[in-house]
Amino acid sequence: MANSSFFEFCKTAQTIAESRGNNAKIKRCAHYFATLENHDALKLAAQFLGEGAFSSVSGQRASVGYRTVALCASEFCKMDYDLVFRACRQATGSASETIEKLFSNIPEAQKQINPTLPDLKQISLWFEELASLRKKDQKNALIQKIWSQLHPIETKYFIRIMGQGSLRIGFESKSIVSALAKAFNQDLNQVRYVHMITGSLGKTARMCASSTLDHAQFRLFHPLAFMLASPIESRAVDDLSQYKAEEKFDGMRCQVHISGTKAQLFSRDLNDISDSFPELLTFFQGLNLPDSVLDGEICVYKDKTIRPFQELQKRMGVKKPDSKILLKYPVTFIAYDILHWNGESLFEKELMERRKTLEDICQKHKIAFTRQFDVANHEELEQAFDDALSRGNEGLMLKHKNSSYEYGQRKKSWLKVKKPGGSLDTVIMYAHAGSGKRGGTYSDFTLGIRVAEDDRYEEEFIPIGKSYGGYTNQELKKINQEIKIYAVERFGPTLSLKPGIVVEVEFDDIQINRRTKAGYTLRLPRFRAIRWDLSPKDCDSLSVVEKMMEKKLQKNLDISLGKGFIQPGYNTSDPDTHE
Amino acid sequence: MKFEKSGYHGIILSDYGIGLDSSSPNIELNLISHAHADHVPRDRRVSVITTESTRRFMELRGFRGEIKTLGFLEPLETEQARITLYPAGHILGSAMIYVETDEGNLLYTGDFRTPPSPASEGFQLPQNVDYFITEATFGLPIYKWDSHEVIFEQIRNFASRTLDAGETPIFFGYNQGKAQEIMHALSPLNHPIQIHGAGYPLCQVYSDHGIDLGPYDKYNKDTVADAILVAPSSVQESAMIRNIRNKRIAYCSGWASHESRRQQMIVDELIPLSDHVDFFELLALIKTLQPRHTWVTHSPNPKVILHYLRELGYSASSLDMALKEED
Repeated sequence: MANSSFFEFCKTAQTIAESRGNNAKIKRCAHYFATLENHDALKLAAQFLGEGAFSSVSGQRASVGYRTVALCASEFCKMDYDLVFRACRQATGSASETIEKLFSNIPEAQKQINPTLPDLKQISLWFEELASLRKKDQKNALIQKIWSQLHPIETKYFIRIMGQGSLRIGFESKSIVSALAKAFNQDLNQVRYVHMITGSLGKTARMCASSTLDHAQFRLFHPLAFMLASPIESRAVDDLSQYKAEEKFDGMRCQVHISGTKAQLFSRDLNDISDSFPELLTFFQGLNLPDSVLDGEICVYKDKTIRPFQELQKRMGVKKPDSKILLKYPVTFIAYDILHWNGESLFEKELMERRKTLEDICQKHKIAFTRQFDVANHEELEQAFDDALSRGNEGLMLKHKNSSYEYGQRKKSWLKVKKPGGSLDTVIMYAHAGSGKRGGTYSDFTLGIRVAEDDRYEEEFIPIGKSYGGYTNQELKKINQEIKIYAVERFGPTLSLKPGIVVEVEFDDIQINRRTKAGYTLRLPRFRAIRWDLSPKDCDSLSVVEKMMEKKLQKNLDISLGKGFIQPGYNTSDPDTHE
Repeated sequence: MKFEKSGYHGIILSDYGIGLDSSSPNIELNLISHAHADHVPRDRRVSVITTESTRRFMELRGFRGEIKTLGFLEPLETEQARITLYPAGHILGSAMIYVETDEGNLLYTGDFRTPPSPASEGFQLPQNVDYFITEATFGLPIYKWDSHEVIFEQIRNFASRTLDAGETPIFFGYNQGKAQEIMHALSPLNHPIQIHGAGYPLCQVYSDHGIDLGPYDKYNKDTVADAILVAPSSVQESAMIRNIRNKRIAYCSGWASHESRRQQMIVDELIPLSDHVDFFELLALIKTLQPRHTWVTHSPNPKVILHYLRELGYSASSLDMALKEED
């Protein structure tokens, strides 16, 4: 059957990549799904497109690293890895794209390739075989055997699927779900629902094709995929009235499943973490609630304050904490969402409806929950930030009032607003060639802080951090033109620049790092603005960074913590909080 | 043979008083390979020698210095050297500069393409080349071009499909050379073409040379929707493009062979139409020439082509002149 060939899959992926606009991509993909006659092939096609060689929930991996792939490809082309392959990879910014091109162009590779047009099933068997092999040279030999049977375009997608990563065709799982609904005339909301509770595109595809979506059932004690927040800058929200705000705690995400006296806790990567937090388990078991699923945050909570994340880390990964640790780092669960209540699934309901249910239950059963509030304008938002920060919390969450609970990142539904730790005027010292969608342009920049008047240094500038983003495409284009003027020397993918381009960079935090020349590094530095109006002489000096650090240390001592949530008097391990 | 680099681009053979794409005003004979801005002196005090078409382009683009012309294959004799221009196949007027001396014969390619662009005077090599200075803009084995026939067909197909769908085809290509090459590819469709204002005057030079650019006119915002638009990619964010409601955009460049350009440029089609030689064409050319020594310039990573040349037994080194990404 020609349609279930891997080649057909790859041609489809390529056309999807080349189609502009999500609707065109969905249409193309739906057409492909509909032509797959065999449900096994369909399951694999959906999984390969959106998850990888293995289903995400399986936890299985082909376990072939990037370096193995690159070295195998060089060997396949009888080519020098360090000298030639790496230079080519640097130019395209993508190993798989480089390999596709080299396999098409290099006679030594072409000689070995004899396409056998394997079907999707065969590809899946190869992935399983790769996963089962332990020795590196066995993996190498198998990979080269497989490549010799594939067209270069098949090899490209084979590598991308093997890495369990994105196919880089601008088509993510949300769109795949839409394509499945379209291909088999199923109700989109139902397909989304099934995807959410199964966590598997392959299974969802199969149920679409066999019209058995009704059979999919939410099962308690099987974790649901988490809804995630997208980071935004505070200025990026237009209509604040559509959102509810809550403070964001420095904790660990957790999903609680409860049924009577049985309870189970799941982490964001869907692992069972019940054993690590016995006091929470005991608490939820004691509530004797009907079937329910809560989403929230675990935090260390002591003396009526939420303690810093570093204290929670003492509890994370500890399978059977002893009484000393339990006493020293007691935790609490702060709920902010409810997905299931009394046998009924709520994730398709709007946020405000879910919150009503949640708050009623929490108040009745003395479960801590986040306090939600309205912010009318940007001034109030700023004020709410400051309040959250002054209480030692991380920032704010903005949740769209009408949003349903959906799997993964939903751009406008949940927004995570963190305030920058500060900003500095720095100079670009090095430009680094990017990879992936930024391949072929200089997209990463090492930023320098001024030490010209500093006796401890002989240089004029020393590195303070490396920034990967925050600029617009236009700005990036302009920088790429400008850096040619300042380029001094080139080391592989890195360009050394003389001081000229000034960047106002914002960052989350300053950290002490004795291994760097400056002694400090910036956490998550990103461009706020390119200051064409400033010259390198106007840049901030290292002493400014040192002052910021002093202030921060001072502030940490002053902080009074944790008043952003409603605490109806529960904490299992801290009797003081019981009224 | 002794030579030195001159500025960002360009080479000076000081023993002979010859400059190749040099910007130095102190050289008697400054030869210019072609009219792209990175090969033309900015300084109007420099007097230059180049082909007739390149002279016209330079003047149209505002060069105010003295320009003498020299025909292809018409030797210019000096006391110590003989200089001849050979068609380079890069854009109209582009020339490779061949310098014969007692020390040996040197060929400087400027930018070149073989097989040549159909919108150029073709490509021709001199007989004996001892020293070869070549560009290697696409000097990596990931670059291998389809023939002009295939690429031109892709250009016409894109335009026809877009017009059939009732939309406006837009081609992004550099105003000088690439734009006219695209128009030449489109000419058999006999559909009205509009070109960006800065590229428009340059078209006359092509027409005078007998290269068919189709029924073309200068960009006009009132009628562009019914035409095919050819413009540089720098206009992407401008009103020129925004005002065309239903459109599809193709990006024509050697760099369009990179997948990442699809998202970076936000275009519908990537058409790898290059006016530079690819890696394999360059190696083949050097095998034909058998030079005593080769210098490469303008390479993204000169180590790679040098590695291959040395493996083949050729003496080669890098001039590593520039970090450019033109067109």
